[in-house]
Amino acid sequence: MHTELLSIFSKSKPQSKKKKKEKLVPSSSISFIIKAKKKTLIMQPCSREMQAMNSLLNPTQQIPLQDLQINGNRHHHQQIHVPSSSQFQYPTPTSTTHHDDSFLEQILSSTTSFPWSDETGPPNPEDNNNAGFNYDEMVLASKLRQHQINGGAAGNPFAAMKMMLMMQQQQQQQQMMLAGRPTVASAAAGGGITTNHQGGEGSMQALYNVFGDGSLHGTMQAKSFVGANSATEMTQSQGSGPTAGEAVTAPEKPKQRVRARRGQATDPHSIAERLRRVRIAERMKALQELVPNANKTDKASMLDEIIDYVKFLQLQVKVLSMSRLGGAAAVAPLVSEGGGDCIQTSANGGSHPRNSNGDQTPSANDRLTMTEHQVAKLMEEDMGSAMQYLQEKGLCLMPISLATAISSATSRSRNPMINHENPTNGSHLLIQSSGGDGPSSPSMSVLTVQSATMGNGGLEGGAASVSKP
Amino acid sequence: MMNTPQQVKNPSTSLKSRFITRFLGALTKINAEDPISSPSPTRIFQRYRRIKVASNKSMAYSVRSRRIWSRAMLSRFRSRRSAFSGRRSSVKTTNCTTINVTINENKTAKGGLDMQTDELRELVPGGEAMDVCNLLDETAHYIKCLTTQVQVMRKIVDFCHLSK
Repeated sequence: MHTELLSIFSKSKPQSKKKKKEKLVPSSSISFIIKAKKKTLIMQPCSREMQAMNSLLNPTQQIPLQDLQINGNRHHHQQIHVPSSSQFQYPTPTSTTHHDDSFLEQILSSTTSFPWSDETGPPNPEDNNNAGFNYDEMVLASKLRQHQINGGAAGNPFAAMKMMLMMQQQQQQQQMMLAGRPTVASAAAGGGITTNHQGGEGSMQALYNVFGDGSLHGTMQAKSFVGANSATEMTQSQGSGPTAGEAVTAPEKPKQRVRARRGQATDPHSIAERLRRVRIAERMKALQELVPNANKTDKASMLDEIIDYVKFLQLQVKVLSMSRLGGAAAVAPLVSEGGGDCIQTSANGGSHPRNSNGDQTPSANDRLTMTEHQVAKLMEEDMGSAMQYLQEKGLCLMPISLATAISSATSRSRNPMINHENPTNGSHLLIQSSGGDGPSSPSMSVLTVQSATMGNGGLEGGAASVSKP
Repeated sequence: MMNTPQQVKNPSTSLKSRFITRFLGALTKINAEDPISSPSPTRIFQRYRRIKVASNKSMAYSVRSRRIWSRAMLSRFRSRRSAFSGRRSSVKTTNCTTINVTINENKTAKGGLDMQTDELRELVPGGEAMDVCNLLDETAHYIKCLTTQVQVMRKIVDFCHLSK
């Protein structure tokens, strides 16, 4: 079928120019009317076109399309439908009030009036084709009239006109047309059929532009039978068309846009967007390596991990800076953060854990024990409050080693009650020495140091002051 | 992955060594000014603050102005210092907030991650005036510097603890 038609094209080149003008009028006029109302129909080669038309029209109109098979039945149709052509003329004035119908009738009348002159002429191959074409047209028109008379839907004329256009284009393809013409016609028909129910004017004008351009040449020949290509041709041809042509190109444009995106995005915005996304992905990967527990694949959870890790690091810096309050360069040793193992409650046990302001009647040991418990409790909660408690008690913290050293040094000369304080928040030793033997009392666990504000001299390394309350 | 050539080839000029030198210098200075004898909680707290600031500052100075977050931190320190001296140099903060507003208006591309990016902006100094791409970059470098800081401080503490 393709090769046949192509051969016809090649032959018809010299003769096609004559017929071009003659054929332009009816084809364009018909194209004006054509509206693809129902589902899209991809352009198929001629025989398949008929089948497609069948599939399209049968569910809609039940037009017996067998008699529309033109290829072999031209003359038969001529004979049969000549009387119907006269019939065709009749109902013209009685057209319905539907705008399109009247328009259709006008066109049909104009078109059908045309072939009658040919009809009388001798059967030239061209004229015969013309007549045949027109008769096919008339066939369609008759069918249309019948359906109109039968009170068919408004969609009928359009489908019928579609059919007419198909016939017409088929004829055109078989006739001596311009090389690009039939393809244009087929493309137009295909486009006309493939367009969804757009505004009739728009599509028609678009098709008209297709015909009127004459710029569609042999490049489209080979592609004419493929519906998709015809769609693209339509869009290409309508590049210069009016804005109404957008109605036809609208269905094709999304296809084109999608195609462009999948391939290479020429849109600068999408390129920039993609670049940005790639960069962000790179950064996230780098962060994943830095942050532990970075096995999350989700970006949101990854960001959560990163945020938590940054918070954790900042907190660590804070804690470490607190623990260094003893002074890195100072002589006094610092206590590590192991607070729990540094604090040991004395064997006396805390009988009155809450007796902070307590009575002086209990022994020093008990009081210290209670204080010790209290401080331990406070320290678990908050360092500041623990320090405040100690201060109001007149006590302070100190590392054990220093405390033992001091107590040993001072126990010889001073009271057994030694209170030392060293503001080391890391472990917060609350050391109390009982008795005069400092270093030789293993039970000694808590040494509270009197606050330096007591103003005692004899500080050793400025670490602690020893005094008795 | 973030290994800059400086840190690899010349250990004496690495970020870590620079930070260590600065930080130890700051610590000695603090100890000289404020002996440990001050037991009051407020003084203790102040001292802690000073040490923390010294640590962060020395890290920021080690990074110089090569990073947005270090620049922001340094400007913050300077503004604080000038605020102490009476002058109000909060121009930079207002600039940051205005930039923050405009940027946040435009950053609706990743709708679901806006909350987290905002949180990250708060955490990383100078993060308000950065787009997401740069923010992630700065966060990576900031995390690296923070880990260095923590490592060094821990080592100092251990050393002091051991050397009693």
